[in-house]
Amino acid sequence: MEKAIKRYFPLFALPTMIAFAIGFIVPFLYGIFLSFCKFTTVVDWKWKGLENYTKIFVIDGKLDTSFLHSIWYTALFTVVSMIVINVVAFAIGMALTKGIRGTNLFRTVFFLPNLIGGIVLSYIWLMIFNAILQNFSKTIVTSQWTAFWGMVIVVCWQQIGYMMIIYVAGIQNIPGELIEAAKIDGANSWQLLKSVTLPMLMPTITICSFLTLTNGFKLFDQNLALTGGNPGKMSQLLALNIYDTMYGTTGWQGVGQAKAVIFFILVAFIAIAQNKLTTSKEVQG
Amino acid sequence: MVAGMFAGCGTDDEGTTSGTQNPSKESQKTEGGSGTVYLLNFKPESDGPWQDLAATYTEQTGVTVNVMTAADGQYKATLQSELAKSEAPTIFNIGATADCAEYADYIYDLKDSDIYNHLTDKSLALEYDGKIAAVANCYECYGIIYNKTILEKYCQMDGAKASSIEEINNFETLNAVATDINSRIDEVNEACGSSLTEAFASAGLDSGSNWRFSGHLAGIALYYDFKDAGCDLTAGQETVTGKYMDNFKNVWDMYVNTSAADKKTLDSGSLNAEQELGLGEAVFYQNGDWEFSAFAPDNENGYTVTTDDLDMMPIYFGVDDENQGLAVGTENHWAVNAKASQEDIDATLDFLSWVISSDEGRDAIVNKMGLSAPFDTFTGDYESKNGFAAKANEYAAAGKTSVAWSFNATPAVDDWRADFIAPLTEYTERDGSWDDVKTAFVDNWAKYWKQQNEQ
Repeated sequence: MEKAIKRYFPLFALPTMIAFAIGFIVPFLYGIFLSFCKFTTVVDWKWKGLENYTKIFVIDGKLDTSFLHSIWYTALFTVVSMIVINVVAFAIGMALTKGIRGTNLFRTVFFLPNLIGGIVLSYIWLMIFNAILQNFSKTIVTSQWTAFWGMVIVVCWQQIGYMMIIYVAGIQNIPGELIEAAKIDGANSWQLLKSVTLPMLMPTITICSFLTLTNGFKLFDQNLALTGGNPGKMSQLLALNIYDTMYGTTGWQGVGQAKAVIFFILVAFIAIAQNKLTTSKEVQG
Repeated sequence: MVAGMFAGCGTDDEGTTSGTQNPSKESQKTEGGSGTVYLLNFKPESDGPWQDLAATYTEQTGVTVNVMTAADGQYKATLQSELAKSEAPTIFNIGATADCAEYADYIYDLKDSDIYNHLTDKSLALEYDGKIAAVANCYECYGIIYNKTILEKYCQMDGAKASSIEEINNFETLNAVATDINSRIDEVNEACGSSLTEAFASAGLDSGSNWRFSGHLAGIALYYDFKDAGCDLTAGQETVTGKYMDNFKNVWDMYVNTSAADKKTLDSGSLNAEQELGLGEAVFYQNGDWEFSAFAPDNENGYTVTTDDLDMMPIYFGVDDENQGLAVGTENHWAVNAKASQEDIDATLDFLSWVISSDEGRDAIVNKMGLSAPFDTFTGDYESKNGFAAKANEYAAAGKTSVAWSFNATPAVDDWRADFIAPLTEYTERDGSWDDVKTAFVDNWAKYWKQQNEQ
């Protein structure tokens, strides 16, 4: 039986592999190719070599920092939102596994924001923010920092519930005996958390931090709807910066494509590094 | 298996296509043979009329006409992905000369086409690389829309800064009137029986409104700049001087200072200037004739102020006010895809010719889409029903010069505008320097022009 499966494996995998190749591998490689070209539509390109890559950083012999600004702004945003989301989601997850009344209701309520799309959510928050900030003669795009914290709040509000569900599942999976044994050994609640719960939760933490990290780097909808990159492109995260170059700047599709390739390498590298780091801390339960 | 599935999809597609779009018994009438037409429509609001028109044409001639409309703000992205397909659009929209370079390989020379021959004002066609690259399919005008009912009453008041609307024919008077109305709003309301809160409707700096200033208002400064330079008024040139930015500042200050909107939060996106005019809260509102239908007597917006109360005056700029008319131009030009097969190109030109000459086509353009068409075939019943457009003609007939849409020349238009709005917002909301606005206007023009035109 096993032999038969092995023998026919390529046949069974074929449809998926073809779909994967058509839908992912081919466009991906073609995209990398296009990053070395000048093009208006993807079928009609002119080879330009590395010109697109130099244009990202140097325009007219002058250093252009808009992409670099986007990179560190995005990195900062990702770090802040990753920490806030995971800490709060974990805390709520802990609270909602203590068996207090209405646990299910709370879980549902915290999860709900995640069901609303990013664009709609951001427009709603835009109204809330501006209505409040109006009193201080400010708007969400008064400076890049109001925009920054605005996005952090929206993204936290949206993702905490989702991560909470994952944490709840992880916490419930910790064997009761372990906790009981620790208690009998005289561990207080801080020691319990530090030496039992957290180590046992490392696989969950790996997943959640991976998700929030990549979500942060790839954030687009909320950025577009909440700030639109304002004031003056200062709150453009990487994805929006690339989109803006691609469709906003006439004749710069190739440069946008080159930025996208750099973006891919960056996200892939950081995600792998993060995965390695947190996986190494996982313990066998 | 997979091949079968894909083949299955293919057959299905063709099945539907031939089912709905090849119905005619009269296909013998077709002159151009078997070409198909594919229009990638620019204006979302006219999708319905175009679909109907395409169906009518197919019924009459048997020629397949596909109409697809790009979502608002997504035209460029849609066009670029559609052009890459084997069934690419045969008709697409080009906004301005600046866009021609980008689509240089796709531009079919329209010099022998009916649409170009019937064009009343040949300057409404875009020329590029010695070709007639695109032909305007409508023309629009913009200026300052004002509530004449209230303004007439104001002019009768004691101490009014103008004794009739006709007197408001230059920037100083307009500024004085707006300032006066705004400074004694309660008195004006009492005398005019109005419920004003401001003179000028809010000048929103959010992306839904700021094009009125980075595009249209800046366009007047560009117009005078190009006029001085003696270059083509809508094609522009590689540099601008910014000489008229002081005039821009005066007008801008008037918009901001005679409005009830808090100037520190103009970019919040929660302002609705059209509504302020429609509900009788404002007297003046800078915008174009496309606003006409929003204020129709039976409008669905709940506006109490309707087209009967409204009129339009030029954006007096303090440069050549006595000769300045409304700003007339368009961002809507038909271009024909040169990469389509000759059959399809012929079918496309026949279709466009039919659109501007048949009763169905002309009716759709004038009555259903509400446009003013720049073709000599639109006479009698097919003249524009738009009151603001009529006003533009009135000014022209009175010897005023219509201001060309010089902002059509803007290089890397989205970037240039964004980079202009940023210092303008800084100036308005946070006491930033006006020099930065002027610098952005001048320096970025040269920078983006160079960037756009390098090969």
